[in-house]
Amino acid sequence: MLVSESFIINSPKVVHETIDGEVVIINLEEGTYYSLVKVGADIWNAVERRISFGDLIEEIQMRYSGDKEEIEESVKALIKELQQEELIISNDVSSTQENSFSVEIKTSDNLEKIKFEIPKLEKYTDMQDLLLLDPIHEVEETGWPKAKVEVAE
Amino acid sequence: MKLNQTESNYSADEADRLAYFQTVFAGFQRAKQNGDLINRFYNIGSYTICLSFAGTGLVSQLTPAFAHLETMPTETPALTVCLWDSASTGIKLPLLVSSLISLVRSRWQEHLDIRGEIKGYNSDRFRTVFQWPATLSVLDLQQNLAIYWVDAAAELPYFERGSPLRTILNWWLENRDRQCVHAGAVGTPTGGVLLAGKGGSGKSTSALACLKSELLYASDDYCLVASDPIPYVYSLYNTAKLKGATDLERFPLLANKFNNLDRLEEEKAMIFLAEHFPEKVVAGFPIKAVLVPRVTGKKDTILQRASAGAALAALAPSTIFQLPSAGKQTFQMLAKLVKAVDCYYLNLGTDIGQIPQIISQLLTQI
Repeated sequence: MLVSESFIINSPKVVHETIDGEVVIINLEEGTYYSLVKVGADIWNAVERRISFGDLIEEIQMRYSGDKEEIEESVKALIKELQQEELIISNDVSSTQENSFSVEIKTSDNLEKIKFEIPKLEKYTDMQDLLLLDPIHEVEETGWPKAKVEVAE
Repeated sequence: MKLNQTESNYSADEADRLAYFQTVFAGFQRAKQNGDLINRFYNIGSYTICLSFAGTGLVSQLTPAFAHLETMPTETPALTVCLWDSASTGIKLPLLVSSLISLVRSRWQEHLDIRGEIKGYNSDRFRTVFQWPATLSVLDLQQNLAIYWVDAAAELPYFERGSPLRTILNWWLENRDRQCVHAGAVGTPTGGVLLAGKGGSGKSTSALACLKSELLYASDDYCLVASDPIPYVYSLYNTAKLKGATDLERFPLLANKFNNLDRLEEEKAMIFLAEHFPEKVVAGFPIKAVLVPRVTGKKDTILQRASAGAALAALAPSTIFQLPSAGKQTFQMLAKLVKAVDCYYLNLGTDIGQIPQIISQLLTQI
């Protein structure tokens, strides 16, 4: 992963809302949804601002206290996972500089750093069935859509 | 005036969509000429909507779910939905549309989007979806005119009878700050709660447990919500559904009133509450809180604070995954809603008589 690389939310397939510090993300095509809190929510919101990977690491290191190498590896791991889940995609480098914007990060001079915790992407697949319950999705071998017997409550 | 290539293509595509809409509508007009025209009017989300049936086949199938919302006829309904079925009227879809549907049926993976939208036929103005077993829904948002066709009214699956026209109504209402949500709702005319969660989470149990209390029923499955000027829920269907023998045992008040007890292997037990308990069904109320039911297996029911994010996760995915075209706008609207009210987990105990007490108590405190 290059320090200059940036990422964008994989819209319109992915929709997301940040609410009281928690990010709820829905993959509309897969029927999956996700939650990110604390460091994970900060990383997601930084991705939304299209900042480079290098700047993202710097931001997180300024905001959180902890081993710098561990922070970098954890951020890298989450970014990879978000890519694997197709929630974010790599941004074109040429458009990064035009579109990115940063926010002022308060440093340790004016704000006590928060203890770093390894970010975790919570993934929920329990509603994939709901998508399948949409009658069109159950298919016989003939190719003709067939409804499942039961429907959502 | 010359159009550039993009504008020209857009206009040509939109003209084709209009032609498609008009062709489907021509089918309705033929059905109308061939039999009775029955107009029924309903107050749905504070709008008067006319269901205009060509022939009687669909009337008894689709109207019981809306019976509690029936209102006075008007010359100028906000939306008119034209409905017919081929089996009872003898009028098929017009040839061009019939050919399209045959193509969609045989190669549906190529021609349908993930929730049944016919690819290429949807735009800001026009919406169309084909869903199993053979229902076609089309809406022209500019004319406030929709068409609903089914092959055979008698073969409509029970869930379509229980929550009919959901797709058309949501398409039309979502631009009017009314969002169809997968949620239950109980309360009083001055305020109540939304019960959010996927199937099996306890929405129906919670809503129906309130039938013997002072709380009124607006929904146990699908309803409409608005976020402006205040969070508000509108009843959409008066349909109550229960699944399995255990559910039926819990509700002896309802047990002998279900009309599909002979088909419980394939169907949920379903009744229309307005037929049996009209005094318990309410048209709507302000939303004071969002509750996320969770079955605990313990005896007592208790409330526990939940984050707005948890409430959004309970409300949004199960709503969005079931509604054609639902996406970012729906998600934003639901986020706004959960931010505006208190959110709680409703940890459900086995003594379901406690559920209305807990909800009533909460409503007196907020």
